[in-house]
Amino acid sequence: MNLLEIKNLHASIGDTKILHGINLTINRGEVHAIMGPNGSGKSTLSYVLSGRDGYEVTDGEILLDGESVLEMEADERARAGMFLAFQYPVELPGVTGMSFLRAAVNARRREAGQDEVDQLEFVKLVRAAAADLGVDNEMLKRAVNVGFSGGEKKRYEILQMSLLKPSLAVLDETDSGLDVDALKIVSDGVNAQRGGDCGMLVITHYQRLLSHIVPDFVHILAGGRIIKSGDKSLALEVEENGYAGLVDAA
Amino acid sequence: MPHKLSEIISWPEQREKAKTYFDSYGWPDNRNEAWKYTSLAHLKEGKFTASSDNAPIDSAPIDSTAQLEGFYVEISGSAVQLPPQDALPNGISITDITADDNARAAAFTHLADNHLLPALSAMHQTSAIAIDIEKTDSAAPLPAVILNLTGSNKEGACYPFVIVRVHKGAEARIAEIHSSHAGLSCPLMVYEVADDAKLQHIRLQAEASHTTHLGLNQMQMGKNSQINSFAISMGGALSRLETHSLFLGSDAELAQSAIYLGRDRQHHDITSFVAHEIRDCASRQLIRGVLDDKARGVFQGKVRVAPDAQKTDGQQMSRALLLSRDAEADAKPELEIFADDVVCSHGATVGELDENLMFYLKSRGIAEEDARNMLIDAFLVDTLDEIEDPDFAAFMTSQINRWSLARR
Repeated sequence: MNLLEIKNLHASIGDTKILHGINLTINRGEVHAIMGPNGSGKSTLSYVLSGRDGYEVTDGEILLDGESVLEMEADERARAGMFLAFQYPVELPGVTGMSFLRAAVNARRREAGQDEVDQLEFVKLVRAAAADLGVDNEMLKRAVNVGFSGGEKKRYEILQMSLLKPSLAVLDETDSGLDVDALKIVSDGVNAQRGGDCGMLVITHYQRLLSHIVPDFVHILAGGRIIKSGDKSLALEVEENGYAGLVDAA
Repeated sequence: MPHKLSEIISWPEQREKAKTYFDSYGWPDNRNEAWKYTSLAHLKEGKFTASSDNAPIDSAPIDSTAQLEGFYVEISGSAVQLPPQDALPNGISITDITADDNARAAAFTHLADNHLLPALSAMHQTSAIAIDIEKTDSAAPLPAVILNLTGSNKEGACYPFVIVRVHKGAEARIAEIHSSHAGLSCPLMVYEVADDAKLQHIRLQAEASHTTHLGLNQMQMGKNSQINSFAISMGGALSRLETHSLFLGSDAELAQSAIYLGRDRQHHDITSFVAHEIRDCASRQLIRGVLDDKARGVFQGKVRVAPDAQKTDGQQMSRALLLSRDAEADAKPELEIFADDVVCSHGATVGELDENLMFYLKSRGIAEEDARNMLIDAFLVDTLDEIEDPDFAAFMTSQINRWSLARR
């Protein structure tokens, strides 16, 4: 069974139609990249997938493991295995990192019929995962994302992903705001979770992320439609010629 | 509400003055500026309860599993039970002054004589207690004194009075727990904190759900004294806590924060008046309110800085969080500054839970209700950090958690 199937997806915000019939299938273990110019609907697609309020699906279907997620709330979709790494992670003053991470992991475990994590074991688990991503203990003690730099926020997103072990990870412009070193750390973190059962949808404006997280498939999104699909060479083509030629040809 | 350092007048005279005041002004309603957001019109009609509901009396307004360690003073209507004097450590003495007119008159010295709450107390006092805390040679801190105000029946009213004198150089820990079943609960507490003395203070208002609570805490601070005070208002049908804080000596520091938690049709009013009459003093107030259902919250905070009170540092911030479309919060911060070399700030916000934060939590699999509760706790947590005493902080945190749990 396909991990994710998006069929003829139309979506609007209020009266504004953003997505005009997207078709996309992702299998387990595959990494798909969605590239597109500003305003093409990339972030909208990530929000529609993750179930954000205010985005209305007017036609089409989204199936995760063969089950429609359209009637599911954002939290239900997450517990079903979906994960969104935010383009702009929000700050949560007063919510400590450990309690937040534990609440998220326990929510997922309860859904799977597993016991909640042991508190001490969890701290060890988080510290180990955090060390790999260059997230230090000081950051873990602070309130979620409060006072973090742009790069630290992105690393924290990938830390959450590694703890939650999603079956489908949607990475929304994870490269934005990252310098070269941070980009490498974050990409390594993502690559460590590649393969196996996890499928990934990497949304980006630029090719540079894709030289670190090399996709199996590349799709060009423009005007709310996928206008071209190919392998990683398509990303290089965009890098070379920009979006203009592709958009005009479509 | 002007305060003056008045002469002691006899208790019968004090009562006479109170009656004269009450006969002229009676129960205030919305036409009275100081009571604009909190009308007592229902009391005018002789009804103690603002609503007509005949809800059963709450059996346990506070969490009895979260007990505070210390010496308990039990005040139940006019019945008073003090810890035996020989059980108290050196430095603490507790006296029933209900029958001692001279002591009561002396305690009223600095109270406003043209104000409803002292007038009600002078007219109707059901009990009066004096607590004296003196400096001891021991390095160990004195145990806490816990004022446990309970009892009375639904139709009845209680007017307990307590004066706490923290003598020069002493450090006191006092907790007030208001959990009566009275129709009208009118506690008046006076804290006189002398030079170089320190008071750690918490006040929990967890009255029964039908109770009208009208409390006044007056705090008087000597030179180089410190008060760390924290109040939670979570019980009762209609509740007003007034705090009047007077600086009587320089270099004193007041930290006075409060949280109100409202649900159903509860009405919580926190009204504070900080009078900087003397130079080089600091006051800091954080107020947080969480309102659900059709609850209403009011914060009125006046800070007055007299012409001579140079180098005053006065900070005040109030924030309310509305969990329901039908909840309402009103804030009236007022700065009256007559000195020119001061640092004063105030701010007030009213908001709802941030949808962006909710989505972030939900996108991690955290269910709607859990996400809401995490954000509500987060909204309150930095305020609870204001409580210095760890036992007091733990007790107050447990009360907040109890309120949150009851929401679930």
